Amino acid sequence: MYHHSEFDRAFVIDRAERFRDQVNRRISGALTEEEFRPLRLMNGVYLQLHAYMLRIAIPYGTISPDQMRRLAHIADRWDKGYGHFTTRQNIQFNWPKLVDIPDMLDSLAEVGMHAIQTSGNTIRNVTADHFSGAAADEIADPRPYAELIRQWSTDHPEFQFLPRKFKIAVSGSPNDRAVVKSHDIGLRMVRRDDQIGFEVSVGGGLGRTPLVGKVVNEFVPTTDLLPYLEAILSAYNTVGRRDNKYKARLKIAVQELGIDHIRELVEARFAETRPMFDGSDQAVLAEIAKQFAQPELVEGRSTAAYDAARDADPVFRSWADTNLHDHKNPDYAIVTVSTKKHGATPGDATSDQMRLLADIAEEYGQGDLRISHEQNVVMPHIHRADLPAIHAKLREAGLGTANIGLVSDIIACPGLDYCALATARSIPIAQQIATRFDELKLEHEIGELKIKISGCINACGHHHVGHIGILGLDRAGVENYQVTLGGDGTETMSVGERAGPGFSKDEIIPAIERLVQGYLAIREDEDETFLQAYRRLGPAPFKAALYPAEEKAA
Amino acid sequence: MARKFEPVVISANDLFDGRVIYLTGADEWVPHLNQAELITEEDHAKHRMAHALALSDRAVGVFLAPARPGPDGPVPGHPREAFRANGPSNYFHGKQAEA
Amino acid sequence: MAQLQTIPTRPARVAALNRRYRHRAAIQVLREALSDPELGRVAMVSSFGADSVALLHMISLIDRTTPVLFIDTQMLFPETLTYQAEVAAKLGLTDVRTIRATPAAIAAADPDGDLNQTNPDACCDLRKTVPLNRALSSFDSWITGRKRFQGATRSEMEFFEEDPAGDRIKINPLAHWTARDVADYIANNRLPRHPLVSKGYPSIGCMPCTSPVKEGEDPRAGRWRGQDKTECGIHFVNGKMQRIPPAAPAPFVPADGQPVIVRDSGFGPEDWTGPILDLASDADLDDPDLRVGDATMIRIAFPSFTDGRGFTLARRLRVAGYKGRLRATGYVIADQLPMARRSGFDEVEIDADLARRQPWPHWRDAADAAPSYLKKLGRRAS
Repeated sequence: MYHHSEFDRAFVIDRAERFRDQVNRRISGALTEEEFRPLRLMNGVYLQLHAYMLRIAIPYGTISPDQMRRLAHIADRWDKGYGHFTTRQNIQFNWPKLVDIPDMLDSLAEVGMHAIQTSGNTIRNVTADHFSGAAADEIADPRPYAELIRQWSTDHPEFQFLPRKFKIAVSGSPNDRAVVKSHDIGLRMVRRDDQIGFEVSVGGGLGRTPLVGKVVNEFVPTTDLLPYLEAILSAYNTVGRRDNKYKARLKIAVQELGIDHIRELVEARFAETRPMFDGSDQAVLAEIAKQFAQPELVEGRSTAAYDAARDADPVFRSWADTNLHDHKNPDYAIVTVSTKKHGATPGDATSDQMRLLADIAEEYGQGDLRISHEQNVVMPHIHRADLPAIHAKLREAGLGTANIGLVSDIIACPGLDYCALATARSIPIAQQIATRFDELKLEHEIGELKIKISGCINACGHHHVGHIGILGLDRAGVENYQVTLGGDGTETMSVGERAGPGFSKDEIIPAIERLVQGYLAIREDEDETFLQAYRRLGPAPFKAALYPAEEKAA
Repeated sequence: MARKFEPVVISANDLFDGRVIYLTGADEWVPHLNQAELITEEDHAKHRMAHALALSDRAVGVFLAPARPGPDGPVPGHPREAFRANGPSNYFHGKQAEA
Repeated sequence: MAQLQTIPTRPARVAALNRRYRHRAAIQVLREALSDPELGRVAMVSSFGADSVALLHMISLIDRTTPVLFIDTQMLFPETLTYQAEVAAKLGLTDVRTIRATPAAIAAADPDGDLNQTNPDACCDLRKTVPLNRALSSFDSWITGRKRFQGATRSEMEFFEEDPAGDRIKINPLAHWTARDVADYIANNRLPRHPLVSKGYPSIGCMPCTSPVKEGEDPRAGRWRGQDKTECGIHFVNGKMQRIPPAAPAPFVPADGQPVIVRDSGFGPEDWTGPILDLASDADLDDPDLRVGDATMIRIAFPSFTDGRGFTLARRLRVAGYKGRLRATGYVIADQLPMARRSGFDEVEIDADLARRQPWPHWRDAADAAPSYLKKLGRRAS
């Protein structure tokens, strides 16, 4: 785990102090709302439908038990006893008062946490594979690089007022669990002649113009990483459009100017930025890397308890089948704790649940917790012998749902229930789909199926990369839901295609049920996933399942 | 043909705690929609909006929110306004819990 | 009934200071302490020992003119004297005062220089305590580099303490630092280390009374080894508190229609009479017709404070070698002053309205040296 240095501490305390001063100046009138807005956004403070919202950074999704407990404390003390984990590995509180936020930031600063650069037109909190440092398929742990990028981008004087927000994701595995090509910059670790470097993609993004990132450089050695990123940002700050906020992201510049033009520009800027770095960043990186050393795992401890529980308890076996992933060490497993109990709000955790997760991570899991972009909580280093005990504790707290990667493991944005930009609700749709398929008891038979729901075109719910995507719109004052098919958020990323006309909020659940039943009827065998079947057969049979009446008419 | 003017109220969020507020005919910001001034004429809406912006020290994001007349004063004129007036649908939080 | 103004007692003041500064980081305690009227005139006392450079570096970032008292016991390692000169020069400290016992006092109490062997406490008293006490008599508070981890005697230490012997307040900004924090800070800021550290001296005092410590030993175990003594004499001195209010800033009144120039030193009127090369925020620096090299003043427009292109323009000009004056003009707000300065701007030009709404203290507070990750990462802006 990264040890927050006195430097980091001084920095976050300083920022909290500055924000307190900014709030005071806003209240005194020295800052207008227009001026205050970007300043509060730089500190994670939004104004939503019912209240302010505070988005707290969990850099690359890594959080310690003490930090998790502090989030629980904040939920109880200043909010309504719960928090919401987001698709960018952050956490949001929905009910803070502006005048309390400086105190909340002070409290966070005590455990090295902050809300810096979780909003606004700046480089956002860098995200990474939530299995980093544990996954069996990994080239190297990407988090030291993510932490280096966090430090570089934090308070970068040149890049606080970019044309638009800017997202960077890092993956250390050939299997992309960080959706890197949907980011402004996607970094995919590659090895070339025993040297580690990154394949750099630019111009990915979802939102109203979903685009898959394009490779701007096939291999940037790690020693050049920061100057190269700085060159991309420098170029973007110059050529990114400022005349239309919907065309201001890097992806539009890449689309309009072409990847070759962008590559030339970046190369020219790289010649400027490379000499600006004197190499100290590599010493810092080496120091960071030491702190992400592999935890000391127990050797030789029997996993018989795990095997026995699997044999004896079908509930445990079902959970183990869906919620565990391979660890580098076969005696260990990566546990994903679902925040998506059927009928619950996806991504929400109560303060008691947060404390339980902290306790379990401390007792069994090397004190390591992760937040996934799929809004679940990951414990990356769990000995298999401990799994039955952990599962029992999780179940008792409503955290034992066996649905990772299944139809009820839905990503949903806050939608019209909370968000000032939303055009329709997302949460109730997710709740109803999960409840319905739980009733049908079909979930495990269906197998891997990613449903992602956004409450507006900005696509915070990643609907474009859902195998089934649902986009909530406002049609003449009535919520309406469009379905997209065939999206994929992995290394084979693709953007889903719109299936046809939208559905009302009463029609959408039966429509999804028809769609899934239709898939079950046409799949080759139970190993063929929804996405594989879609890619094999194309959209026609799926559309037929969605719109049966039309087919009859035709 | 000019579009028919749909009735509105003046609404905003409170600077200090972010809660939804509405402007009454007596220039007070209040938390309940049914106490707001329902505006049915376009010219009056413009005039009241300019006035609201001038007195809006504690009001953030002042805008004209669709509303309709109801038995006890204005009611929401759009689903978004219904959520603003009551609170979210997944938890019993917000104004619905304060009533 | 009128409320009686009461002057708080010193313990109450110290307690209030500790409450006020609770949860602050070292650099903040230091920054605020240097301007807090409660603390009056502040000096730093430094041995220029193993860890001193961290605190000295912070002082140099906040105010290089802060008086730094260096006690030369005339029993120091020659390495310490060389190191003292090197650090003071590197950090640009402008007021390092070397404190020594008077020749008369030495002649009277320790003519042969062997008092340390017979009575080390008396030696400390003669060579440290008395001269320091004399030097501190013109200060109200003093900054020390003591840390809790430095041994059992310091484990409860707070940021602020009553000086047990005098009417002064001791400020311990590093109270909560660990040895690792010190090492990190020194490494991150690439500060020179005392040459004896690498030879096994983690705590360095006078030659006769300091020996190296072994791995795992209390770092101060090498001081007065084999003796009961654990405190160094600097921290028990007598003195009197005197209050001097801080100097008032020079007045400058923004006038309508006149530009206000914001610099590190404050608001001021336009003072430039030479030619100005004006650049729009979308200026193309790669345009060969743009002869920036000839300019002596370049002024970059900020049409809106949300348009950050000017920061990249400034940094590119500086990296390309532009050495003239560089000014941001237009709609720049107080909170952006640090971004402007770190991107290579010398100053900001605003109008009188903005200057009245956001007076100088807002800019000054915003510009206060926040820690810089880029600096730590060795990324220069010019």
